[in-house]
Amino acid sequence: MSGRARLALCAWAATLMAACALLPLVDPATWILQAAFLLAVQSAVGAAARRVPLARPLTITAQALVTLVLLTLVFARQHALAGLIPGPQAFQRFADLLQQGGDDIARYAIPAPLESDGIRLMLVGGVLVIGLLVDTLAVTFRSAAPAGLPLLALYSVAAGLSEGGTDWLWFLIAAAGYLMLLLAEGRDRLSQWGRVFGGAPRAPGGEPDGVVAPVRTGRRIGAFALGVALVVPLALPAMDGGLLDSARTGVGSGTGGGGTISAVNPLVSLRDSLNVDENRQVLSVETDSDDISNLYLRIVSLDDFDGTTWKPSKRNITAVPDGTFPTPIGLGPETKRTQTRTTITAADWYAQDWLPMPYPPSGVRIAGNWRYEPVGMTLVGDHGQNTRGLTYEVRSLNVQPTADQLAAAPQPSAALKREYTELPDSLPDVVSRVARQVTAGAANPYEQAVELQEYFAINGGFEYDTQVKVGSGSQAIARFLEDKQGFCVHFSFAMAAMARSLGIPARVAVGFAPGSPQADGSVSVGLRDAHAWPEVYFEGVGWTRFEPTPTRGSTPSYTVTETPGSSVPDPALPSRNAETEPSAAPSASESCTAQDKKLDACAGESPAAVPVAGGNGPKWYAVLAWAAGGLAVLLIPLAPLLWRLRIRSVRLGAHGRTEADAGPHTLAVWQELTDTAWDFGIIPEESQTPRKAAARIVRLGQLDPTAAAAVHRVADAVEQVLYAPRPRLTAGLTEDVHRASAGLRATVSRGTRLRALLAPRSTVRVVWTLSARWAALRQRAAAARPTLRKASGQQG
Amino acid sequence: MTTYDDQASHGGAPARAYSSVGDDLTAVVERVRGSVESVIEGKPEVVRLSLTVLLAEGHLLIEDVPGVGKTMLAKALARSIDCSVRRIQFTPDLLPSDITGVSIWDQQRRDFEFKPGAIFAQVVIGDEINRASPKTQSALLESMEERQVTIDGQTYELPSPFMVVATQNPVEMEGTYPLPEAQRDRFMARVSIGYPSPDAELQMLDVHGGVNPLDDLQPVAHAHEILKLIEAVRGVHVADPVRRYAVDLVAATRTHPDLRLGASPRATLHLLRAAKASAALSGREYALPDDVQALAVAVLAHRLLPTAQAQLNRRTAEQVVQEILQRTPVPAAPQQQTGFGAYGQQSPRRL
Repeated sequence: MSGRARLALCAWAATLMAACALLPLVDPATWILQAAFLLAVQSAVGAAARRVPLARPLTITAQALVTLVLLTLVFARQHALAGLIPGPQAFQRFADLLQQGGDDIARYAIPAPLESDGIRLMLVGGVLVIGLLVDTLAVTFRSAAPAGLPLLALYSVAAGLSEGGTDWLWFLIAAAGYLMLLLAEGRDRLSQWGRVFGGAPRAPGGEPDGVVAPVRTGRRIGAFALGVALVVPLALPAMDGGLLDSARTGVGSGTGGGGTISAVNPLVSLRDSLNVDENRQVLSVETDSDDISNLYLRIVSLDDFDGTTWKPSKRNITAVPDGTFPTPIGLGPETKRTQTRTTITAADWYAQDWLPMPYPPSGVRIAGNWRYEPVGMTLVGDHGQNTRGLTYEVRSLNVQPTADQLAAAPQPSAALKREYTELPDSLPDVVSRVARQVTAGAANPYEQAVELQEYFAINGGFEYDTQVKVGSGSQAIARFLEDKQGFCVHFSFAMAAMARSLGIPARVAVGFAPGSPQADGSVSVGLRDAHAWPEVYFEGVGWTRFEPTPTRGSTPSYTVTETPGSSVPDPALPSRNAETEPSAAPSASESCTAQDKKLDACAGESPAAVPVAGGNGPKWYAVLAWAAGGLAVLLIPLAPLLWRLRIRSVRLGAHGRTEADAGPHTLAVWQELTDTAWDFGIIPEESQTPRKAAARIVRLGQLDPTAAAAVHRVADAVEQVLYAPRPRLTAGLTEDVHRASAGLRATVSRGTRLRALLAPRSTVRVVWTLSARWAALRQRAAAARPTLRKASGQQG
Repeated sequence: MTTYDDQASHGGAPARAYSSVGDDLTAVVERVRGSVESVIEGKPEVVRLSLTVLLAEGHLLIEDVPGVGKTMLAKALARSIDCSVRRIQFTPDLLPSDITGVSIWDQQRRDFEFKPGAIFAQVVIGDEINRASPKTQSALLESMEERQVTIDGQTYELPSPFMVVATQNPVEMEGTYPLPEAQRDRFMARVSIGYPSPDAELQMLDVHGGVNPLDDLQPVAHAHEILKLIEAVRGVHVADPVRRYAVDLVAATRTHPDLRLGASPRATLHLLRAAKASAALSGREYALPDDVQALAVAVLAHRLLPTAQAQLNRRTAEQVVQEILQRTPVPAAPQQQTGFGAYGQQSPRRL
C-alpha cells in the first residue's frame, strides 16, 4: 500500500472514530454506516484525483462536488435533476431538512430519535464536511497535525452535547484515530527519506517488514499518551472530573441487582420545557381526589447540593415492593392523611427515566422494568425503561398537617439533619446572611420556612421570569438574590439553600405543578407545568412541600398560618429589624474575623447558623495535597538550582588534607570549575588537556589576571594529581574555584548570570548519569538473559 | 608564535627545575638548541622537535620542498654534537652495499675484509632519501630499528647514540620514489620546516649573505652527554592515563574510516618515547597528555595511508590526526584496566 493510500485510509478511519462520539446522541446508530460509506466514497474520489494527479484545489473541488451529489442522492433524490444533479429545489429541500433537524433537536432530549431525515442529514453531512477537511489537510496537503482541529471540533460538539457516562470511551476512540493518522503521516514522511531504519538490529530470525521499529515505538508512545490523558486528570485535585470521573463513581446503567441508576438530570430540560411555544400535553391524570391543587407530580428529589447545582444522590435501588410501600420517612401517626388513587397516562413521546408520581406514594401498579429507590421513594426505569406511552396507577397519601403540628415538630435526627443540611464551602456568605435577616423574627424552623417562602413569594419583590439565564456556579444563588429575577429553579434552589443554611433539612423536588382540568374530568399536565419546588423536612410529618415561586403552583394550606403574627407583616417586625440588624450585623462582623465567622465561633450570631459550618472545614488530606502540590510547583523549577548547589557543596566541601584524600578532592574541584564555566556558557571539551582547558576557560571567559591565575593553579594541581609520580599538594583550591567563578560572573551579561543560577547547563549531567546507569542495567539484564545468538559474522 | 615553554603557555604556574635531569644537562640541551637555532632561524619548534627525536633515540625525517634548509638543519644538528657524522647522498644508482658496507677479498690475507658503509656513524645524514630506489632504502631497515648491520652472516653493532636524519622532497616532486611503509614506520617523526617568515628571511639574508653559518659551528655537546640525557629521558614518569591516551589515539587511527592503514604498535611506542623526551625538554619529570597531543601529528601522520576516497577529497593524514585529537577524550581519572579489552579485538586492516 502506498503511503498516500494508507494516509487516506487513516484519515477516513480517524474521522469515523471521532464521529463515534456522536453515537450516544441519537438513538438508532444506523446513520454511522451510511456516513462511513459516503465518507469512503469521498476518500476514494480524493485518492483517485490525487492519483491522476489533479492540482490540489481541483482535488478538493472534485471531492466536494461528489459529496454534494451523494448527499443529494441520499436525501433529496426527488428534488434533483435526474436524481443526481442538485438544482435549486434540492437546495431548498436541504434547507427544509436542516430546519426540521434544528426543530427536532430543540424538541427532543438526548438521545434524539432518528425518525426524520433532518437530524440524519445534519449528522451525515457534518461528518462528511469534517471528513473532507481532514482528508484535505492530512492527505492532500500532507500535514496531519492540523487535521486534528476539525476532528477536535467534531469531538467537542459531541462531547458537549452528550452527558453519558462513557465519555472516556469516545475520547479514547477519537484520540486513537487521530494518533493513528499522525503515525501514518510520520511513517509516510520517514519513508520519503529512504529506507526506514529499525533502531535495533534485526532479530536473527528476521521479522517481516510490516512493523518497523519507529512505527512500533510510535504506537507505544501513542498508547502511553492516551493512558496518561485519561489517568492524569484523576490525580490532579484542581481538575474536577476527568473523563473517567463519572466512570469512577459508578454511573451508567446499572447491571441490575443492587446497582445504582442515575438518569439524566431532569433539571436540564426544565427551562426548555417552560419556554416551549406549544404547550404539549405530557401527562393525562385522573384522580379521585377532589382537590387538584395539591396534585404535584414529583419526578425526583434533588438532595445533593454541590455548590453548582442540585443533583439526586446516588443510592441503591431495589425491586419495587409488592403491595404497599413503607410509610414515608418522618411521617408520624398523628398527622392527618387521606389515601388518593391517581391514574396517569404519559404521552408516547415523553421519555422520562423517573416516574412522575404524587408524593408520598404508597403503592404503584405499573408494567415494565422499574425499580424502587426507597429513600427518595421514586421509581427508576432500568435497562432503558422509560415512561413513553405508559399508563400507571399510583396510590398516594395526601398528608394534611396543621400549622401547629409543624410548628411543634421536634428536632430531626442528627444523621438526617447532617445529610440534608450539608452545604458546600463555596456557597457565598450572602445566602446565610439574607436567610438570617429574613427569618429574624421566626421562633422555630416552621416559622423560618414560612418566612422564607413569603420572602420569595410576596415580600421580597421577586419576579417570575423564565428568560433569565440559568447561572452556574455557586455565585448563581447570590446573583439571583441580588437581581430578584428567575423562575422556579432559582426560587427552589435559593430557598432550599437558605433553609439548609438555617439548619433546616431541605431538598429540591422536580416534577410537574398541578395541570389544568379538562372537560372529561381528567387533568392535563403540559410541558409548561414543569416545575421545581423545595421540600422541607419536619419530624412527625416528613418531607413537606413549600412553594416560593410566585404565580406558580399553589401555596400549601399549612403554610398559610392561622396565627397572623408571622405571615402578616408584624408592625413590630420592621422596627425590630431596623433596630437589631444594622447594629448587630456590623458589630458582629467587626468583632469577629472572617475566619471566626466561617468556623462560627461567634456566639453572637444567630444560633440557628451553627450547624451550617459544622464539619464543613476543608479536609485535612485536601489541605495536605494542595500543600504538597504547591511545594512541588515551587520546587520543580528550582530543582536544577538546588541540585547544582548540592553538587557544588559536595565537590568543594571535601578537604584534601590527607595524601589519599587530595587526589579525589582535586579532581572534584576541577570538575566543579569546568562545570561552573559550563554554566556560564563555556562547554567543556573532553579532548582538552587540563592546561588547555584552563587556557580555554580563561580565553572564552575573558578572565582578569587574578581569576586566570586561579584557574591555572587548579589545572596545575589536576596535572599533578593525574600525571605526576608524586603529586605535589596544592592548598586553597576551593578559594581558587570561588575566585574563578567570580571572574566568570563578572564578565557575562545579567541574563547569563541568571541562567547560570536558575538553569545551570551542567545539570544535564544528571540525565547523562541516569541514561548511563539505565544502559548499564539493560546491558546487565541482556547479559543475564540466556540467548541463542548466532556468532556475528566478522566482516573483513 | 607557539612555543613549548611552560611559562609562556601556562601563566602563573611556578617554575620547576630539572630535578631528575639535572642542571648541567639542562645546560647541554640549551647549548645544542642555541647552536642549531643560530643556523635555522625562526623555527624553534622544528629545532625542538629534532632535539626531542634525538633524546628519544628516534630517527628524524625532514620533508619539505627544496631550498628551505632541510640539509642545513640535519647538518647543524650533527655538527652541534661532538660525534661521528656521515652523510649519504641518496641517488638513483645508490646500492645497498654503499650504505651498509661490503666485504672485500684481501689478496694478502686471503680473507674477506669488511669495509663499513656510510651507516657506521653516530649521526647519519641521509640526504634526498627518496631519490634512491626502494631496494637501496631497504638496506636501512635493519640498521635503523635494530641498530646493527648484518653482512655475510656477520653482525656489526652500530655506535651509540645512533640517529638517522633523512631529508626528502615530497613525493609529488620529480624523480622521487615513495618510501616503503616499513621504512616510514622506522622514522620516529616527520617534520616539515616550512618557509620562514619575512622577518626571519630578511635576517637570514643579512647573516648568511657572506658566510656559511655551518662553517663557524662548533660542537657544543659530547656524545656521552647526549647519552646521559637519553638515560634521563628513559626515567621520565608516564602516568597510566597518559599511556591510555596514547593507546586511544593510535587505536583511533586504526578504525578511522578515512585511513587505509593505521598506525602500528611501534608508533605507540615512539609516541610515548617522544612524549617523555618532550617532557624532559620542558623540565618536567612526568609526561603530560599535552606532550602527546603536541607530538601526535609529527609522530603519527607519516605512517598513515589515507584511502583513495579521502585522497580524492584532499584529506591529508595530518588533518585526520588533528581530527582524532579533537575527538578522543583525554582520560581524566585513573580507571580500572578493563578498557584495554576492547583494543585486543582489533584485526589488522586489509589493504
